[in-house]
Amino acid sequence: MSGRTEKEPRSSSRCHLLVGTSGYSYTEWVDAGFYPPDTPSGRMLSLYARCFQITELNYTWYQMPQAEAVERQRQQVSSQFVFAAKLTRTLTHEIDPHNWPRDADRYREGVAPLMQSGQLMAVLIQLPPTFNRSPSNRKHLAHLLDALAGLPLAIEFRHRSWVHERVFSELERRQVTLVGVDAPALPGLYPALDVVTNPDLFYVRFHGRNAKGWRSGNMHQQFDYHYADDELHEWVEKRIEPMSRHAHRGVLFFNNHVRGQAPANAQRMRALLMERGLLSM
Amino acid sequence: MSERSIIHLNVADFAVAVERVVDVRLRRRPVIIAPEAAVRAAVYDMSEEAYQSGVRKNMPLGRALRYCRGAVVLPPHPDRYERAMARLLKLACPYSPLIEVTDYNGHLFVDTTGTGRLFGPPPDVAWRIRKAIRADLGFDPIWSVATNKLVAKVATRVVKPTGEYIVDAGEEAMFLAPLPVDLIPGLELDDLKRLRDFNLTRTGEVAILSLLQLDVMFGKRSQYIYEAVRGIDLSPVFTASQKQPVLRADHTFGNDTNDVASVCAVLYRLAEQIGADLRRRRLATRRLGLVVDYSDGKRTIRQARVYPATAHDNGLFAAAQKVLMHAWTRRIRIRHLRLMCDRLTFPPAQQELFADTESRRQRHDGLMVALDAIRHRFGFGAIQVGRTLSASPI
Repeated sequence: MSGRTEKEPRSSSRCHLLVGTSGYSYTEWVDAGFYPPDTPSGRMLSLYARCFQITELNYTWYQMPQAEAVERQRQQVSSQFVFAAKLTRTLTHEIDPHNWPRDADRYREGVAPLMQSGQLMAVLIQLPPTFNRSPSNRKHLAHLLDALAGLPLAIEFRHRSWVHERVFSELERRQVTLVGVDAPALPGLYPALDVVTNPDLFYVRFHGRNAKGWRSGNMHQQFDYHYADDELHEWVEKRIEPMSRHAHRGVLFFNNHVRGQAPANAQRMRALLMERGLLSM
Repeated sequence: MSERSIIHLNVADFAVAVERVVDVRLRRRPVIIAPEAAVRAAVYDMSEEAYQSGVRKNMPLGRALRYCRGAVVLPPHPDRYERAMARLLKLACPYSPLIEVTDYNGHLFVDTTGTGRLFGPPPDVAWRIRKAIRADLGFDPIWSVATNKLVAKVATRVVKPTGEYIVDAGEEAMFLAPLPVDLIPGLELDDLKRLRDFNLTRTGEVAILSLLQLDVMFGKRSQYIYEAVRGIDLSPVFTASQKQPVLRADHTFGNDTNDVASVCAVLYRLAEQIGADLRRRRLATRRLGLVVDYSDGKRTIRQARVYPATAHDNGLFAAAQKVLMHAWTRRIRIRHLRLMCDRLTFPPAQQELFADTESRRQRHDGLMVALDAIRHRFGFGAIQVGRTLSASPI
């Protein structure tokens, strides 16, 4: 199951693919050799932009984005560089039933500089593992999507109950991207799907397959994984290529940031996509 | 120096937050912490609702209640606030060996420099500590991440009463520039007045000035102000473990008092407790401190050098009396006394020069040994000197 939006698949070479990492500001990437020694964190984005054309801003999950700071960040990169930004936790994980609409407005204002410059590829709505498909959660999600309408939205579910045809249909109707995930094969986790619900964008996140550390509660164990070539090959052949036929653009992010494995895997993935003719230099 | 990463956690209106954990009925009501019974009581702390009504710290309670008529007034409980701070510290401890507790007011600095490999990015650490505090104590602390303590502290002030702020490395001056100068820690009232005289109200306006220009206005203070408005602060995070051990003995009066004899009797008993502790450790102190908490919530802290270092009850009491004279400057009744000693050292080995002094010292030593032996076997209250009889029972 890939394309749900077009009857006739398009040529995959027409799909513009971008590969990057989830976040870029990790001091351990200096030790890993991705950044030169003694790189201050203020210089990391401009150095990162020499290797990749896209990044996923994950600090916006912790902190409501502020337009001035986002604009300063935008000015560190070229106008071709694009961003995906995580939605703030007060809208997904720590929802205040009375104040969240105000937070949705604040978020929209915060990412406005990226929207105005055309550099906002997606807003990532990552929902918690406990967010199941209950009536109240469905209602909140519908209201949230309404409140954020106009932004390029992508949803990452982490509870299996959302694997449902009606969910895909509704996302398709709203032109909201369903995020594909690669994660350990553990019971209860959202499966790796190749469903494209938005002809404008497909979005894949590679979290790593560290089954042992996944539920450790320690980010460093959870995302400590290095993808082998055959694992990346399998993704390219079985999922990315078919998905590319059903969307104009696709973004792939590596979240296995520990010990600089994310940028290494992202660079390797780019090479594999080039070999396959899915990505040009 | 390599780039640092400092988390600042701030439980807004800490005293009120603690009282609200103790009594959940206070959660949706304005609360003022002030000693109700005290004459000319002043506000010690207040909730956000009371603050919005115009109540401020140190405001006379009568006026505060006129501003906020529905407020619940509670007396200060310093012991509760201390226990809550100890709990906060315990929850933050797993994430860094460098944690600084500035005072018992809900502020913690956590230095996470170089811990990324173990615990992940600093914002994630800050969020996890906050989550643990919420789950354990029910507080919702403000948190910030910055490259130094000064900027981290300003960041929590900016988002108060709730929220979070991450100031990226290299953005310190830009972050501070639009903010009012009175948000910058360390600027004193005289500094602010002088800045107002020059119509400088924003930090960025001061940051334009060179060190020489600031020197003309502030003299010796110019270097600090020059650095502070640019977000430069090299001060380290002082850890609890790096500090010298401090021995403490406390007494809370059942009825607040300003009776000199009662206060002195209690002070002697505290000196005895500290002395017994010192002797048990085979140590002596070179500094004594006294904390006096008054009925109206105000606190006075004074300290004095003890020379030669001593662990004798009489020597400690004599030094404590001197400190009390400096600390007890108000006519308000005293609620709580704390005697502290630090700068611990091995007892002086040198003998007295004159024989009669030496023999008196030996007699005192013998008495101390006897008292300690009795107390060790039968408890501290088993024997007491006459001068402590007027003190309330331990």
